[in-house]
Amino acid sequence: MITTSSKLLYGLGAGSLAAGFVWFITNEGQQLGSVMFAFLAVAFIFMGAIASYTRDGHILSTDTSAHGSSAAAQKSVGRSLWPFGTAVSAGVTVVGLISSPGIFKVGVALLIAMLAEWMVSNWAERASASNEYNIKVRDYIVHPLELPIAGALLLSVIVLSMSRVFLALDKSAGAIVFAVAGAVILFFGTLIALRRDVNRRVVGGILGVVLLALAGTGVATALDGEREQLVEAAEEDHFAHRGCTEEKEYSDKKASRAVAMKSSVQAAVILSDEGVLYAEVDGYETAQTAITLQRSNPSTILFINETDDARRMVLSYGKVVEDLGGGVEKETALEACTSKVEKGGQQAVTVVIPKPSSASDEPFTITVPGVDGAKIDVFVP
Amino acid sequence: MNNPRRRRVLTLAGIAAGLLTLAGCAKDAPQDTWQPAGPNAEMIDNLQQPVFLVAGIVGVIVMAAVAWAVFRYRDRGQAIPEQTHGKPAIEITLTIIPVLILIGVAIPTTSTIFDLAKTDDTEMVINVTGQQWWWEYDYPAIGDNADKYGLSQPIVTSGQLVIPENTKVLLRVTSRDVIHSYWIPKLNGKKDGVPGRVHLLRLEGSKPGIYAGQCTEFCGLSHSYMRMETIVLKRADFDVWVANQLAPYESPAEGTLAKEGESLYIQQCSRCHQVNGLADAEGNLIVSAPEQYVVSGAAPNLTNLMTRITFAGASWDLLTQQCRDDVWKASANEFGAKYLSGVSADCLNQKDLREWLRNSPEKKPMYVDPTKLQETNGKYRGMPALGLTEDQIDALVAYLLERK
Repeated sequence: MITTSSKLLYGLGAGSLAAGFVWFITNEGQQLGSVMFAFLAVAFIFMGAIASYTRDGHILSTDTSAHGSSAAAQKSVGRSLWPFGTAVSAGVTVVGLISSPGIFKVGVALLIAMLAEWMVSNWAERASASNEYNIKVRDYIVHPLELPIAGALLLSVIVLSMSRVFLALDKSAGAIVFAVAGAVILFFGTLIALRRDVNRRVVGGILGVVLLALAGTGVATALDGEREQLVEAAEEDHFAHRGCTEEKEYSDKKASRAVAMKSSVQAAVILSDEGVLYAEVDGYETAQTAITLQRSNPSTILFINETDDARRMVLSYGKVVEDLGGGVEKETALEACTSKVEKGGQQAVTVVIPKPSSASDEPFTITVPGVDGAKIDVFVP
Repeated sequence: MNNPRRRRVLTLAGIAAGLLTLAGCAKDAPQDTWQPAGPNAEMIDNLQQPVFLVAGIVGVIVMAAVAWAVFRYRDRGQAIPEQTHGKPAIEITLTIIPVLILIGVAIPTTSTIFDLAKTDDTEMVINVTGQQWWWEYDYPAIGDNADKYGLSQPIVTSGQLVIPENTKVLLRVTSRDVIHSYWIPKLNGKKDGVPGRVHLLRLEGSKPGIYAGQCTEFCGLSHSYMRMETIVLKRADFDVWVANQLAPYESPAEGTLAKEGESLYIQQCSRCHQVNGLADAEGNLIVSAPEQYVVSGAAPNLTNLMTRITFAGASWDLLTQQCRDDVWKASANEFGAKYLSGVSADCLNQKDLREWLRNSPEKKPMYVDPTKLQETNGKYRGMPALGLTEDQIDALVAYLLERK
């Protein structure tokens, strides 16, 4: 039986197919649009088939005896908070529209969630002719989504709060707090597991208080700010050493603490304790005195200093000549440097070399200032 | 089965299943992972054959058991049987059997993974760099590459990776823009090329020939046109190939169409495409500057374009169909000579090359619309249409034909 809604859906499916053909002909054989229309047609036809199979979920209009017991005639399951939630979300969205994009995005996300909940609840209230079933069906459908999201939100509150606490604490204190907190959680978890008759409300209450305390501490520490070293590092762009200038700043003196990739690098350049500079390159079993870097490719090179003195690595890759007018030219050496690395420390530097080494008058090299003969040739084909 | 409608549905389902099965029997399937052509791919094949067999047997048993249970205990109006819970003997047996099967699969799998990751016996190293939507290969002139394979200078090529037969080649795979994945199914598994990282992949070919592949990480608009081929040559042929790649540039003879093409190349193409040794009228070497025009900062090096037999991310052949078949179907002994002869005027696939030069974005979708380049600071993702006249295309084709 072709029902009313299935007629509509079949019609839309046929229309989409026709549109796909028209697209293909009018767009000189470009397939992408046609494929999209074909997908649309399949989706409509599939939904039409479902509508046919379920006969639109309707009872026959002539079956008057069934009208009172039909799904549509059922009373609402109960009060709904979703309209209120939707209104609040709309308010947040409007506020966000005026004040900040972040709040606006949160508002839109809330609005979508509230509308979806409202829609599902509304549908569930009259899903069948059985009021008892209608009460349960919403939970069957929505809980698989609601519970993981609620869990994720809860988890994010815990993670965020703990991260704020650890960012505020001293590094050593953080380790102690973490170990103690882990032990306490394990201890109480074991206790609860052993006492199976413990009241669920008591456990829930304790966990609620702990969560509130944690969130409160998180907010307090977030307001108080991160520990001094982190603040200082952030002000200096997270340990990034941009130039080949003298070390002045906090991050220069803590080179090995730089946030950088230290695996899968193009090469590890090592200054041995005897002052010999060599490169270790994945794929080569022996120490190298020359490396090859791809042109225009972000290449990360890790510098490891094994000498007693703090040393920096300098990668020189030619120069640029700027025409200042009036026959005056300005030459600027192209260099990438690490800051000075203490004994046993390491620091990575990422460089993009735009021109091949054969185009330069001077060879590309890696050197360590102050160490005679410490040189690695760099080829950029 | 007496229901004619059900019989019709079952017949149609049977035909569909049969057709699907037959689809796996393609004769011309250059990217067939079930036909290994090198030790690494053979290792994978030796693992996947028994695993596939075990999985197939388990699958058949499970599906047959489910089908039997569905049919045997279908609803025929009988009373619901007594409901029971827990059969420890069956549950333990049905846990132990899969565990034993998985252990049986895990041991050779782990061993194969370690064998495939081995790099300490590498004989040749090649850098492989992906970008939208082609692969670049550069052969460093250091280590064994220089000492044993005569690479006095680095070689840069694209589309086709050329390696010597029975040589343990280590690819150092990376990317200039987004994540790509390098895969030559007949020679080894996949390896992602990730910006800023270097991933290692071993390739080794046991028999001279062409082995096709395809980028297997969705990388944007023309991902499907990002293909690659690995060419395996006998060692002597490989030496010839190296010598040819390192040969000095020869400018076309004065007064020829190719010479006109060279001038046009310098004006139009050399901004992005490097031809090693190409110099301007004053004798200054021309260095391309793709970093100024292309998002990835690179464009294929065309110094020896006609020694490779594909172009534009190995998506189109530079050879006509007949000449292409001649190379692809050559015996192992004849393959090297045929491949090394490159592209001749008679064999040049004029149609596709000219279409490319006429309007490359129409042939291979690329983000090159000048009005939509705000996000990339005016840089293209691919080659724009250069608006060349037919005469200019003639000259360029003549010039490129000499890049051997």
